[in-house]
Amino acid sequence: MKRPSLRTFAQLTAVAVLSSSALLAQRTSSTPAGLSPNALQLFHQPPDTWPTYNGDYSGQRFSAIKQITQQNIKDLKIKWKSKITGIPPLRGSGPLIIKSTPLMVNGVLYFTIPDHVFAVDARTGKEKWRFNFEDQGGHVLGQRGVGMYGKWIYFLTPDGWFISLDSETGKERWRKKVADEKLQYFTTMAAVIVKNHVIIGIGGDAMDVPGYLEARDPETGEMQWRWWSEPQKMGDPGSETWPNLQSMRHGGGMTWLPGTYDPELNLLYWGTGNTNPVFAGQGRKGANLYTDSIVALNPDTGKMVWYFQGSPHDTHDWDNVETPVLFDMEVDGKPRKLLAQAARCGYFFVLDRTNGKYLISKPFTKTADWSKGIDDRGQPIPDPDKEPKVDGSMVDVASNGATNWPPPSYSPQTKLFYVNATEGYSVAYLYDTSPEPEGYGGGSSGAFDTHSSLIALDVLTGDVKWKHVPKGRGAEGGGMSGGILTTVADLLFTGDSDRLAAFDAATGKIVWSQKLDGHVSNGPSTWTLDNKQNIIVGVGDSLYALTLGGN
Amino acid sequence: MISKKPGSLLAIGSLLCLSSAVAILHGRPVLASAQEPELHSQPPEKGRQPDRSHIFLGLGREPDAAAAKRGDVLYQQNCQACHGTRARGGIGPNLVRSVLVLHDDQGEEIGAFLKEGRPQNGMPSFAQLTDAQRYDIAEYLHMEIELAANRGLYKHSGEMTSGNVEKGKQFFAAQCASCHSTTGDLAGIGSKFSQPAAMLARIAWPDTRGPRKATVTTPDGKQMTGVLEHYDDFETALKTSDGSTMTWPTDSVKVAIPDPLQGHRALLPKYTDDDLHNLTRYLLTVK
Repeated sequence: MKRPSLRTFAQLTAVAVLSSSALLAQRTSSTPAGLSPNALQLFHQPPDTWPTYNGDYSGQRFSAIKQITQQNIKDLKIKWKSKITGIPPLRGSGPLIIKSTPLMVNGVLYFTIPDHVFAVDARTGKEKWRFNFEDQGGHVLGQRGVGMYGKWIYFLTPDGWFISLDSETGKERWRKKVADEKLQYFTTMAAVIVKNHVIIGIGGDAMDVPGYLEARDPETGEMQWRWWSEPQKMGDPGSETWPNLQSMRHGGGMTWLPGTYDPELNLLYWGTGNTNPVFAGQGRKGANLYTDSIVALNPDTGKMVWYFQGSPHDTHDWDNVETPVLFDMEVDGKPRKLLAQAARCGYFFVLDRTNGKYLISKPFTKTADWSKGIDDRGQPIPDPDKEPKVDGSMVDVASNGATNWPPPSYSPQTKLFYVNATEGYSVAYLYDTSPEPEGYGGGSSGAFDTHSSLIALDVLTGDVKWKHVPKGRGAEGGGMSGGILTTVADLLFTGDSDRLAAFDAATGKIVWSQKLDGHVSNGPSTWTLDNKQNIIVGVGDSLYALTLGGN
Repeated sequence: MISKKPGSLLAIGSLLCLSSAVAILHGRPVLASAQEPELHSQPPEKGRQPDRSHIFLGLGREPDAAAAKRGDVLYQQNCQACHGTRARGGIGPNLVRSVLVLHDDQGEEIGAFLKEGRPQNGMPSFAQLTDAQRYDIAEYLHMEIELAANRGLYKHSGEMTSGNVEKGKQFFAAQCASCHSTTGDLAGIGSKFSQPAAMLARIAWPDTRGPRKATVTTPDGKQMTGVLEHYDDFETALKTSDGSTMTWPTDSVKVAIPDPLQGHRALLPKYTDDDLHNLTRYLLTVK
């Protein structure tokens, strides 16, 4: 299934990435239309490009572009607004909401909503083309965006089609079925390109199906490997955390958010989702590996190198898919290659990304009282008395988790990890008390003393360095929203109420805001075009570009 | 099938939340979802009805309820011995998780399969049934799938399995009675919140989420009291008793909001689940 010629090309590419900047420049200038393979790097985003969901492989969403500063940000104004028109409300989920982070390549932005891909001129916001798809099922609540390889775009549909488009015309090149919507799988994520692999994950909760992650050939769409979220047979490593094959093969662990990648270690880092049945754990006693975990995989083979389970024996729907953010730092005088995740279960993890050993494992909102502390690997120990009950069991983590899919950010300058969090209490109910429940088997309710907050975490200690709790609530208009972008100018961009706001990344003080037509609905991004730094942000059905002076 | 009565708050909630993350606030569920939560501060979407969960989940054709009911009888007669009373499997496979069943649309796959059987695997032929009967069995299986997959249809039994009235009464006397009385403000509370989950929510966090009163101190030291029309990090709008609305930049004013839930907030980290169940049991008896 692997094409030798492409492998060679990929190896050349890998060499190029690691070689001198002179060589890089040379290669870039001779690159044909589309995205240069050199654009994808660990800790560096080319200033004139946003080449992948997170901007670079690290997932830091930290930009070295410094035209916009704390001093001149008062002049940051809307340059254009591009509203999606001509598409009715989505089946069962209503208004159109841009959750994708637009790629920007050669002056064109590529972004999505479920069933639709848009290419717009990055200078004007004017639409160049759109690709419309008619699904035959699957969830339509979210779509994270596209992946790009050369001139080709990769897009996933609600009903599990993996589609390649020509970035110049929006014309379909081919489509491959990668997930079965009849089994209640769906696909929403933005493909991640690693060498000659298009890495795609899947979603699905309702029918207790097993999760998987795939690598596909960028030219043909054929599968290169598939990694399953559970061991495939009893006796395999990890199978001891399941009572039987039936529960293990129906254990969930979806791979629905883009992961990160370290080219030097050649390791792909991915979060897996909640265990199934979701709230009823009595039929799957044990830790339920490798659901709710961060896994490190070899991108060429799909073989797992290490794992760290963030929410063992999850019975609260706490998908551990939040971005595993990569960063390097000196710890106790030694350079370390690290990974940090603010997890939905309410824990902040800092791991050694070479081997998965933990440095920090600490609650970042309240006490994460569903756990009794951590084990010797730093993994939380679930408290059986805090599993969902027929009469309800209250935990000090909000229903949707302490955080969720909106991308966090890490600034190597402040050495702080930033996350939009939800703090509060919720109650988990068990509905299905049978020995072998199915589906969700229960539910979570209650939003007791719940509010959002923007939290800055010290990656060396896991302590909260600063926290911003927005004023107001609900109908009054207050609340944090969307993902986070930080820049070298110590600016932090995120959604606050119906505005895009910029905070001082070091102190958490609001330094600027711009009223928009609603709540920020995606992760803000930035790039430079015609020597102007642009901030790009999605609000519902509209995309905004902001520049100094608005021109 | 989907009750919209207050008594089935949980059912409506879990459905709407299409996921799990349901917040029940005095009968108004806040929409949220497992993999795709709504943004932190977005108000619930108006007009989103419970039966839309089927559409949202992309479950395709809705099963024919009458046929499924007839099929249930046939299933129990012909199939349950091997596949279990609710098709979750026995000595035969789980049919709710069967790829063949899930791929069937309206009985064409299941019907043909039943007609032939798979004798080499121990699955007999059901050629003696009529096409209509085989269709009814297929519809029964589709209904079982619907009930597993469409969390909008999930229902809590509404029955409590734990909790002790006497202990609840003691807890109330010790922790609640300084502000509340079961003959005063909480008289008849057990009739108003007869569903245990609704009662528990009422006890733990009785927030109406309605407009809040506030006193705004303006830059020149003037104090104004009214209802907050808008309040966030940037803008404060207060509607005063004369019907007019004043707006200020939030950082230019001091906004004092009474916090009637202070006592409840202080209790949240202290409750054990037993405390909550005991209190729920007790207050359900206050009719």
